[in-house]
Amino acid sequence: MSAEVEELLKRFQALKNVIGIVVVDNDGIPIKTTLEYNLTLHYVALMQTLREKARQVVQDLDATNEFTFLRLRTLLHEVMLCPQDDYFIMVLQNPCD
Amino acid sequence: MNRVLEDVIHRNASVVDRITVESTQGYVVSDNIANAVAESSFDNTSAQAIVKHIHGILVSTCQSAVRDIDPANSVCFLRLATRKFEYLVAPEEYFTVTVVQ
Repeated sequence: MSAEVEELLKRFQALKNVIGIVVVDNDGIPIKTTLEYNLTLHYVALMQTLREKARQVVQDLDATNEFTFLRLRTLLHEVMLCPQDDYFIMVLQNPCD
Repeated sequence: MNRVLEDVIHRNASVVDRITVESTQGYVVSDNIANAVAESSFDNTSAQAIVKHIHGILVSTCQSAVRDIDPANSVCFLRLATRKFEYLVAPEEYFTVTVVQ
């Protein structure tokens, strides 16, 4: 991966509330992760399903619309999912309340 | 429709007015048990579609995903951004509220 991308990821990771960042390619393989490996695999599996479901839901509601971002706020964390063409990024952070 | 739900809706009528005045397209409140539309500012077909898709499929998938990682955790809020709008979903114990903006 290019140096700029690494730089960006490092910058995000350094932000106060960010717990981890995972970049996953379309086959479900984590290309880059800052979380521990088993946890990453766990998240990737779930996020893939979620991403597909979200995409289907949006398509079903309006065929011309496209799913661009998903933000899941739970009691303990906040998960942000950003799908792109060849990959998707997931960021796990502590919600700042 | 659930008695509790009706009371809640009546009590929050002013809140609903405030929400609808801002840049929102509308809202849908659904009953969790019956998985049916309780209250909506959309027409019935759209509201039912939203309930079926977002509340039925997406919220439950998210909830099971979150619980899978940590059983003590649970979904508080869900924000689905699309090119045209943004769906803000708040699942509660008895009902789920979705706002489209």
